Amino acid sequence: MKPARPHEPYLLLLPTVLLLTLFFLVPFFVAAKESLYSWDLLTPRTYVGLANYRLLWERGELWRAFRNTLAYSAVVVSGALVLGLLLALLLDRKGRLAAFVRGTVFSAYVVSWVAVALLFMWMLDGEAGVVTRVVVALGLPKKNWLGDPAVALYTLAVVSIWKIAGYSMIVFLAGLQDIPPVLYEAAALDGAGRIMRFRSVTWPALGPSAAFVATTSLILSFQAFDVVRIMTQGGPVHATQLFVYAIYEQIFLNLRVGRASALTVLFGVLVFSLAALQLRLFRGRGVA
Amino acid sequence: MSSRVSRRSVLSASLASALGACDARLAGGGERAALWYSYGGKNREVLERLLARFHRDPQRPRIDATFQGDYFESLAKVRTAIAAGAAPALTHVVAEVVPYLAEAGALEPLDRYEGAADLDLVPGIAQSGTYLGGAERPLVAVPFNRSVPVMYVNKVMLERAGVGIPQNWAELRAGANALTLRRGTEVAVWGFECPVSWWFWVALLASAGGKVVDASGEVTLGGDAGVRALDLWQTLIHRDRVMRPPLGRDYNAWQVTTQDFLSGRAAILWSSAAFLRYIEESARFPVTVAPLPRDVRHAVPTGGTLFVILRAAEEREKRAAWQFLRWMTEREQTTEWSTSTGYLPATRAAVHELTRTGYYDAHPSDKVVLGELDAIEPWPWSPTLFRVQREIMDPLLENAVLEGTDAARALEKGRREALLP
Repeated sequence: MKPARPHEPYLLLLPTVLLLTLFFLVPFFVAAKESLYSWDLLTPRTYVGLANYRLLWERGELWRAFRNTLAYSAVVVSGALVLGLLLALLLDRKGRLAAFVRGTVFSAYVVSWVAVALLFMWMLDGEAGVVTRVVVALGLPKKNWLGDPAVALYTLAVVSIWKIAGYSMIVFLAGLQDIPPVLYEAAALDGAGRIMRFRSVTWPALGPSAAFVATTSLILSFQAFDVVRIMTQGGPVHATQLFVYAIYEQIFLNLRVGRASALTVLFGVLVFSLAALQLRLFRGRGVA
Repeated sequence: MSSRVSRRSVLSASLASALGACDARLAGGGERAALWYSYGGKNREVLERLLARFHRDPQRPRIDATFQGDYFESLAKVRTAIAAGAAPALTHVVAEVVPYLAEAGALEPLDRYEGAADLDLVPGIAQSGTYLGGAERPLVAVPFNRSVPVMYVNKVMLERAGVGIPQNWAELRAGANALTLRRGTEVAVWGFECPVSWWFWVALLASAGGKVVDASGEVTLGGDAGVRALDLWQTLIHRDRVMRPPLGRDYNAWQVTTQDFLSGRAAILWSSAAFLRYIEESARFPVTVAPLPRDVRHAVPTGGTLFVILRAAEEREKRAAWQFLRWMTEREQTTEWSTSTGYLPATRAAVHELTRTGYYDAHPSDKVVLGELDAIEPWPWSPTLFRVQREIMDPLLENAVLEGTDAARALEKGRREALLP
């Protein structure tokens, strides 16, 4: 059967395609071109071929940004999933108290990153911060949460989880409320306990919600910038230098447009690859 | 009817006020210029006060001053604005970046402006004394908020511990050990704190007799003197455990160390003279200001920023910016800026005035800062200096101090990196 208006779908897609081209594809290709030059915005460009990529590799900057971003994302995504799910299961009940707690937990999500980062800097002060005081009161050794290279990245990840857990909770709550009660009744009649009901009914039904939370928290973690800029500036010893911050540092602090562009291109390739992989996985499971 | 009259009145009033505004602009020649600045806190208040005074005379141009974040954020914005063709006429930049900007052709030569030869600047902090060979180059930078590193001492703690003001590195080490107070495995009071930053490392290196860049322009990072400088920090942090390890980068580190000193968690602090007024007014204990302890000689690099006019700005704006810049270097403004903040007075006339009126006798700390002018170690006129600072030395120092890596090997790696394009 021949469609009556075969061009209509393309016309409807056109505004989106134009916007994506203007704001994503064109800048990406501009960055790809700039990555082949050495430029500081003030003096004329010099063509250097692939030297920017080679230097990023040889100086270990590429691997560092890649490793830090993946480690940070892994902790943020899994933390947001687990904490969001736990909170949703705990607060999926009627009553004013539960509604109040749900609202309180979600409120962190709407607070600006800058405010959250400043608040946590104060709380995580290695000498007088409330977290340090609690740790000392419990008889545990003090930790330099933001100054220890082995700890700082995970500290930032925990702050990010705290910030986005409320959002994950809301998504899981919506998923929980979509599960027909009859399924639980049937499972109970079959003798399933609480854990079995969760494993056989709740978790499979929450598949799309979990996929959505994983995708959105992955995007958020890949975009992380404010929290790094304010709390650690990529330090100590580059331990919290995530991809986006590394790009910012190259272009705005080191005056290296070429290297920043090379990092942007590689970051783009990484994000495209991950998005394609995720799409493939979720399509296979009938989620997307 | 009354409504019509009322509307007419409103329109008339609006027209009159618009014409009035036009008159005001015409009175000032209609000229205005943008000033991008990085002063925060008290310094910002003083600048705003001076700006308000400048604008009191309607014949003067309008200066649109905008806060642009710290020095490095502001520099990033300035550079982007130049590339985008939207450069402000006037801004101020750290000394290390002036050669880079000048060699890139971004700075307006100021010699052609009326009165440029009569600025009567204090040589040590003017372009002539800030850079090796600075006097032989076209004038591109005028000092305003210039400072030197100094040592702040909690007088009560030193007296209680029977420690004198350290005069050299050995005394600093011994004093920091005596002043550090431990409770079990924890340190309650650090004997010594200092932001682990390039500026203080250069101060140590200069004191140890080294130079960051040699006469031929090669980046040497001070050779053995650079190693000695880094080794001192490593010793104080790792071996003696009397200096608090760095807790932040760039200006976070400065805030942390200053707050530690003010709250009695550090007995000796190295910081900028720019914090002088703030520290003296905020401390709840008597503070003594002293020169940095020396190694083989007494030498300090200059810090703070210099005013620059950007070549890319429009001619009218540059003229307006120059008018403001000249006004700021007049004796009255220079004196007020210096006494209100702690920065060095930029002109000799201001120094004479402050000396004549007995200001330095009444403010011994300011006199100590002024005395450091005799020990200034000029920066090399090296366009790569800024890159060496930001890309190589700041991360290298942080790494070497936190991880305790071998100082000689770390600096050798830094020298190799300086050769990369």
